[in-house]
Amino acid sequence: MIMDYPLLWITLIIPLIVSLIVLLVRIENVRSTAYVGGFTLLLPAFIATYYAITGALSEGVFDPLQIDMENRGLGRFMLYIDGLSAPIVIGISIVTGFVSIYSVKYMLHRIDEMSSRGEPPPSFGVYYVLYVVFSISMLGMAYSTNLAEFYIFLELSLLSSFALIAYYGYGDRRRIALLYFIWTHVAGALFLAGVLYYGFKSGTFDVIKIVEGLPAYVSPFLEKGYQIAAWLIIIGLFIKMAVFGVHMWLPYAHAEAPTPVSALLSPNLIGIAGYALARFALPLFPSVFETYQWGFVALSFITIIYGGLVALRQSDFKRFLAYSSVSQMGYMLLGIFTLTAYGIGGSMLHYLSHAVGKAVLFMVAGVFIAELHGLRAIDKMGGLARRYPLIAAVSLLGFMHLVGIPPALGMWSEILITFGLVKAVPLAGVGSVVLLSSLVIVAFGVTAAYSFVTMRRIFFGPLKQQGTGESLDDFKGSILFIAVLGVFFFIAITPFSEALRTASTVLSSLVGGG
Amino acid sequence: MSEPLSYTITGFLPWSLTWLLPYLGALVLSLAYIAGFKGERLYGLVSVASILLSALISTLAAYRVFTDNAIYAKASVAWFPWLGVTFGTYIDGLGAVMALVVSWLSFLIAVYSLKYMEGDWGFPRYFIIFTFFVASMQLVVLADNLILLFIGWEGTGLASYALIGHWYTDEEDKWVGVPGRRALGKPMYFEPSHSAVRAVLFTRVGDVGLVIGIAAIYLASGTLVIPELASTATGWLAELASKGILPAILLVFTLGALAKSAQFPFHEWLVTAMTGPTPVSALIHAATMVKAGVYFMLRFAPILIAGAIALGTQAVVEGLRDYFLIVAGLGAITAFALATMALVSNELKLILAYSTASQLGYMFIAAASAGLLLGFAGMEEVASSVMAGLSHLVSHAVFKAALFLVAGWLIHVAHSRFIDRMGGYARYMKLTAISLWLAGLSLAGIPPLSGFFSKELVIHYAEEAGVSWIFFLAVVTAGLTAAYTIRMILRVMHLEPLEADSHVKAHEAPKLMLIPYLVLAIASLALGVGWSYTSGLLSKASELTIGLVEKAKLSVELTGVTGVVIALVLGSIGSVYYLYSIARVDFRDLIERNTLARYLHDFLFDRWYINSIYYIVIVGSFSYAAYAMYALDSIIDTIYHAGVPMLGALGAMALRVLHRGRTDYYLAMYAYFISLALLLLYLFWGR
Repeated sequence: MIMDYPLLWITLIIPLIVSLIVLLVRIENVRSTAYVGGFTLLLPAFIATYYAITGALSEGVFDPLQIDMENRGLGRFMLYIDGLSAPIVIGISIVTGFVSIYSVKYMLHRIDEMSSRGEPPPSFGVYYVLYVVFSISMLGMAYSTNLAEFYIFLELSLLSSFALIAYYGYGDRRRIALLYFIWTHVAGALFLAGVLYYGFKSGTFDVIKIVEGLPAYVSPFLEKGYQIAAWLIIIGLFIKMAVFGVHMWLPYAHAEAPTPVSALLSPNLIGIAGYALARFALPLFPSVFETYQWGFVALSFITIIYGGLVALRQSDFKRFLAYSSVSQMGYMLLGIFTLTAYGIGGSMLHYLSHAVGKAVLFMVAGVFIAELHGLRAIDKMGGLARRYPLIAAVSLLGFMHLVGIPPALGMWSEILITFGLVKAVPLAGVGSVVLLSSLVIVAFGVTAAYSFVTMRRIFFGPLKQQGTGESLDDFKGSILFIAVLGVFFFIAITPFSEALRTASTVLSSLVGGG
Repeated sequence: MSEPLSYTITGFLPWSLTWLLPYLGALVLSLAYIAGFKGERLYGLVSVASILLSALISTLAAYRVFTDNAIYAKASVAWFPWLGVTFGTYIDGLGAVMALVVSWLSFLIAVYSLKYMEGDWGFPRYFIIFTFFVASMQLVVLADNLILLFIGWEGTGLASYALIGHWYTDEEDKWVGVPGRRALGKPMYFEPSHSAVRAVLFTRVGDVGLVIGIAAIYLASGTLVIPELASTATGWLAELASKGILPAILLVFTLGALAKSAQFPFHEWLVTAMTGPTPVSALIHAATMVKAGVYFMLRFAPILIAGAIALGTQAVVEGLRDYFLIVAGLGAITAFALATMALVSNELKLILAYSTASQLGYMFIAAASAGLLLGFAGMEEVASSVMAGLSHLVSHAVFKAALFLVAGWLIHVAHSRFIDRMGGYARYMKLTAISLWLAGLSLAGIPPLSGFFSKELVIHYAEEAGVSWIFFLAVVTAGLTAAYTIRMILRVMHLEPLEADSHVKAHEAPKLMLIPYLVLAIASLALGVGWSYTSGLLSKASELTIGLVEKAKLSVELTGVTGVVIALVLGSIGSVYYLYSIARVDFRDLIERNTLARYLHDFLFDRWYINSIYYIVIVGSFSYAAYAMYALDSIIDTIYHAGVPMLGALGAMALRVLHRGRTDYYLAMYAYFISLALLLLYLFWGR
């Protein structure tokens, strides 16, 4: 279906305009402008939900404003939402929307802090523009139907996030920003090389086209040397996703970025690479996915378990969360490489549940940094539930999303991914059941272990940081909202079910699965 | 296959209010909490009211089921259509009995909690989670499909986690175990926050198994709806059996139940769960949540058995027998092992916790014996065996809840969880003593209390099932149970305290606490005295339960085995009475002086060293693995962020050597590389 109005373009442009206004307003009015900006960032979630309820999402929805680049050999740049991208769009939308409100107190505090140390960073307005550019570029990636288009948004997101880390980050922030920049550009360059090979050989960069009014994937890319393109794209995305072996940049960048940016980087940006794997790489190179399926499944399990175990040993809260993100990316990968509709759909839902859960947890880390004098060391926390009962409750909800315990949305993704895995594995004989079950139990168990052990280290036991209790302001309220939305989508999964099933089934049928 | 069970389809409401109302109660209370309401009255009132309403609706539903037909209350709109998941409430005979037990016990214990938790700093949180728990537990027993069941299941686990760690600031008087005690070098004392993590991780292992099992069964059957799973059982049983994975998948499916019901080797979490407030121990860790695993067995064993009978294939029957043998075996091991641990424990709640796990073992034996009867007994026998499990579940829920509630008062009076600091309370609190005796004798299995009948039935079907070692352990456990129960009662009620605490003033419990346990204790007597009525009701429930659809035979006949068991129980009561009250043996002194006695005592007291072995083997290997991965991570870090830059620096240095600023040299280099490039071009594309 094609929309009547260019709503998707509007959702990209309006936040940008609002952010430019922030540059002009006086500091006292920053808060209200950030509210407006946050609200405009929430629009995509409303739009996706609206089309889910009307049922149009199952078919896929195009923005009417399309940029025709056929004569330049680039294909068509379109904006599009369907069941596969809806969880991604909603995830980006609600996290960026509420973090926008959260940012005000945090970043004003951060800017003060840096100024008092004699290295004043650019103003809040600059921060906010970069923040919005970062947010809408991620939305653009989720909307993209074309690889060149996707890459443009990708590059935009890398540059804006690089600047945010370099200006407002912690620790050795310039070095870490550079490290982040190089790593992600190595990934970007590999990805781009693969994309260019595909583009020049096939004469288009399109992956989704409109055929007789309906969206359709282009046929698989089978030109000579297609495997090279496939591997370049897959490895590029793996680096972005921080899969085991090429994950090393992530703990630095995500731990030392200013916390609102961490809350976007960690669940949202890296997960998009997983989405791109399903959206672009799978339909173009189904045979590569089939041939190396079990290798990739093994890599997923390694990533889950490795990330979880290393997280268990972290002493810095934000670094702990960063390793947890590595582990969570393993789940997304696992879902996709079951090559079943359940797994792929589960993986996309996991994007949303991880977005909600991890954003909440990073924002909680930010509360302690802002209110307890930069407290990040887990060993110095302990007993904080006594001072921050509400924050403790939302953190528990955040962890429940990662572990997959209802009423968190994570339960649905856990169930779908497990269904996909059980379907994919040819079970024959006791050995196969034992092997599968032990692997899954260890992987899921490690996630539960680091979650609940850390919950205890931070919030339970004797109180180590004396002081006053919590006050519920918009800073903490924005966390509460995201957490509540996670529960809301757990219950309100109904309208998305059909669209997710359709989109995932199309993909799984390309790889011979069901 | 016997007649499929008929049911009346109704709208989603009102029957779904059984679990929806307490959820709403919890939601309202959470909002009040966020809004900053502090008053205890609001939390207590909303919680108790929503639970009472749920109990009343459950009663009405049970009445409808027993007088009319099973109920399937189904929402008209699917919830997650992809997996065919709806909001549905399915109430058959089993579900109705379970809902009655769960809701009314929850109500009584909520009332008790009003007084018990008075003035506690976590009062609002306690009642929010308590209400959430009741809703989840009702959902477990009334869910029409596996996903809803799983949601309730996880909800109870979450509530259990939160309530075990209720006093999360970890003061020493809230611990479990003797502070400072170690076994094999591992601490044997646990703070509330530690116990909470243990509970959630132990059960998580099982729950992941449950999800895998649900997946496998769904993929074979195409449905998650429980009545449909029953009607398609022949198909999916045959499919799983043809792949040779039937018993394995069923065991994985049952891991959740084993962990939830604290069966060996998952029993460890329940022991330390005693850090929670005592009403929580009574409700969650004795009367209801830990029974979820038993309910699971009672629910699915009939479906499996009926399917296998209808199918009649050898492979399926054998697969099921293997599966049920393992489950019954684990039940028997748990029943025996935990009873031995209860013999020597010195903490009141720990004794009851061991006893709970042990009695749950009995229920697993009964449910699994039904499956072991497969092939050489009729459906009536099978139904009776399953219902023996349910009988014991009901009678245990009643008397164990009473025991825990009494324990809550006694611990309050003694200011200590250790029984050595208690004693002689009978003269200060007659009604409490009577309650303790009634509930205790029911646990010990003395006629005409309900515990006697249900235990006899379990032992009877363990005998029928024909696995001698399981039967043997079941009988021995009966003797041990009587021994530890009587030891406990004598110790706290009649003997003088071993470690006197002079300033303790004992008196009768306040009414709000006394009445709930008195009611329960009398109920455990009434259920037994009126066993013909009780068994009639349960028998009717059996007829109305999916997969069974037969009247169960639940009257207890006096056989040789019954005689032996009664003699064993009386003998063991007599010996305990003699040793403690007449001979007054000083066991503490005995353990000091006698090496063998000390070894035996330590072995039992430290829970067969199983806890320490877990810490050494499982926790140990994971922390080594975490350490190794951490080290590996530093290596990867060094390679990328020191190694690669260093290579770059070296490369730059090497390249700088080439650049000497001499034109002739550059020209030579130019010629060299051009020819190399041409050569390569020729090699690859020239031919």
